[in-house]
Amino acid sequence: MDEDSTVAEDVSADFPTLDRRDEDQLLPQLVAHLREHRTKLRQEWASRIQDAHLLHAMTPQEMSAETTSVYDNYVEVLETGSVEALQHYARDLSERIIPRGVETHEVVGIVLLLRDVLARSLFEKYQRDFALLNRVLDAYEPAANRIANTVAVSFVEERERVIRQQQDAIRELSTPVLPVRERLLILPIIGVLDSERARQLTEQLLTGIRTHRAKVVVIDITGAPDVDEAVANHLVQTVDASRLMGASVIITGLSPKIAQTLVTIGVDLSKMNTIGDLQGGLEEAERLLGYSATRQDSTAG
Amino acid sequence: MTTGPALVSILRQGSYLIASIHTALDDSQMIRFQHDLIEQIGRHRSRGVIIDVAALDVVDSFGSRTLRNIAEMARLRGALTVIVGIQPDVAFAMVALGMGTGSVYTALDLEEGLAYLDSRVSKKVLGGTVIDPPQ
Amino acid sequence: MRRIVSARVADRTTADDLVQETLVRVLAATARVEPGMLEPYAIVTARNVVASMWQERDRHRRNQHRVVDLRAPEDPGTDLLAREERTAIARALERLSERERQTLLAHEVSGQDTRSLAAELGTTAGAVAAQLNRTRARLRVEYLLALERTEPPTDRCRPVLLALSSGDRRRQREVDAGRHLLECDPCARLSEPLMGRGQQRDDLTRIPIHRDGDIVAARQGARDLATRLRFSRTDLTVISTAVSEVARNIVRFAGAGEIVVELLEAPRRGIRVTARDTGPGIPDLEQALTDGYSTYHGLGLGLPGARRLMDEFAIVSEAGRGTTVTMTKWRQEG
Repeated sequence: MDEDSTVAEDVSADFPTLDRRDEDQLLPQLVAHLREHRTKLRQEWASRIQDAHLLHAMTPQEMSAETTSVYDNYVEVLETGSVEALQHYARDLSERIIPRGVETHEVVGIVLLLRDVLARSLFEKYQRDFALLNRVLDAYEPAANRIANTVAVSFVEERERVIRQQQDAIRELSTPVLPVRERLLILPIIGVLDSERARQLTEQLLTGIRTHRAKVVVIDITGAPDVDEAVANHLVQTVDASRLMGASVIITGLSPKIAQTLVTIGVDLSKMNTIGDLQGGLEEAERLLGYSATRQDSTAG
Repeated sequence: MTTGPALVSILRQGSYLIASIHTALDDSQMIRFQHDLIEQIGRHRSRGVIIDVAALDVVDSFGSRTLRNIAEMARLRGALTVIVGIQPDVAFAMVALGMGTGSVYTALDLEEGLAYLDSRVSKKVLGGTVIDPPQ
Repeated sequence: MRRIVSARVADRTTADDLVQETLVRVLAATARVEPGMLEPYAIVTARNVVASMWQERDRHRRNQHRVVDLRAPEDPGTDLLAREERTAIARALERLSERERQTLLAHEVSGQDTRSLAAELGTTAGAVAAQLNRTRARLRVEYLLALERTEPPTDRCRPVLLALSSGDRRRQREVDAGRHLLECDPCARLSEPLMGRGQQRDDLTRIPIHRDGDIVAARQGARDLATRLRFSRTDLTVISTAVSEVARNIVRFAGAGEIVVELLEAPRRGIRVTARDTGPGIPDLEQALTDGYSTYHGLGLGLPGARRLMDEFAIVSEAGRGTTVTMTKWRQEG
């Protein structure tokens, strides 16, 4: 690159009037132009965003603040060529707007709009010198694409992270093994039970029985919609396995539909301790525990 | 007294026998354990038997069946059997295999097993209930 | 090499013999020679062979009038072994097709690379390399057969031995190599040196099943291997319980067999258990897989249970030949 002759030769083929130094001046020139017209261009961008019905989850004030930040970050990337700062900002922005329901297409949309607004302004400025305009756009577009890419990727990554986090949280929340009182566990099942969740649930319950030395377990499935046969089967196995560990299981909140599924797979419901609602289940649990507690009290030395 | 110091131990405690399996047993060792235990129940006129299987990492169909057989034979000799210490993963695998312990009572651990025997055996004594006739 | 030899020996038949002998020496030395050294080694050997022939002839001529052989007698045992080995390699080479022999020779001895061989043969370098691998695998099989002075007893033997020799797992499954080795003693004997030369696989455990104690060994082996894929504790117990069932099935109903446990990486991570026996076979598979058939009548087949425990389960049984159960547990991701 230091060999001026080669560079000059390359450049002179297309741009006989300019040498390498002018080429280096292009981006700074461009950046200076975008800084100079910052207010006007930013406003134009904001109104285009509004026209496109993007980001309507945000208030005008927020919109103004964020667009200013994005604009400045954008120009900075053009100037420095480094997307690092933009990446941080994009991630930070994503974290703030994802919980408000901003979608991927909106984020990509506003960045593409900004790209377009700036390109139009450059076009206007350089339209008299077509060769120069070409070179300005050649310098601008790769950088602009890189910016759009960075923002989109940061947003999607952040979104995936949030979704993963939420899934974990939901999973934790939906299969809690709750020690209500000594020797009594409640396992409320909320949400769709697939095989994988059913498997986790069983493992949690069985180790929970050992940890809490539970004698009675109440599995409340009021919050579970329909279960398929595989999951129903798993539920029955969980009941049997709990029994092998010395814990009695009471099932509450059995919907007629799930009861039907259980009968279909050949479960003898009369052999399962099922009780209408959680309250009744807890009373039954107390009764069982009281019984065994009396026995224990009378014999424990 | 035992089938070998390392594999199993059978201890007498009052009218109960406490049998602990210390390691994975192959089928013939399992059968020998069954014979020894039944023999001792008869010799000591035990009223209750606790079999501690906490050390077993697998209880397959043969293991389940042997435990059930022991309980049934013990019942015929007048002793009540409790199996204790089935690990969570073992419990699940046993059920998935389709082999429970049948009507044999299970408890979490030795302490629970003893409490159960005490409650049942004393109840029978108090209530004057005779042991179920063999079928 | 033929060039080197021919330049020194006019007689065509003699030259061929010498080339053959050289090749034999080179192949016998392959294990001791660096791959890149093969060609120089071959050339030196060829020269030596030719030279020793001349010396031999010369001495022979000079000593023709003598009755006593003046050559220093070698240790007869070593000599015999070396001669047997050489004969075995020669016989093995004869078993190869002309094209196989030439390609192998050109590559191993003349050092011609696969690309130029491919150009000559009108094929690709990859195909030549594959062909060479197959040829080497065949050479090993034929060499062992010649050394043992046996012909394989059945038609199935050679394909099985070839699959073992080439280390081609898919082919081994296709020809059901595991079962064949259980049934065929000569092949079982030959399989040891054949497989011994391949790298030891640490993602596979093979447990012979003959008696009660082997059942415990099989489930322990399966558990140890499965632990490496970080199966959940419950899954580990489920797997070893299923292995226990199929192992007992072998001990009770077949008397002898083996259990092979292997880790799978693709398409999904998991563990595959193959249980084979050479027993009488199961006459009614459907019945054997029905609950109650086994469990409540004394001895348990345990097959329905094993099927329930695993994700995939397949069973093949042939009257008089035995049974193979293949079952897989996939690793839950996440």
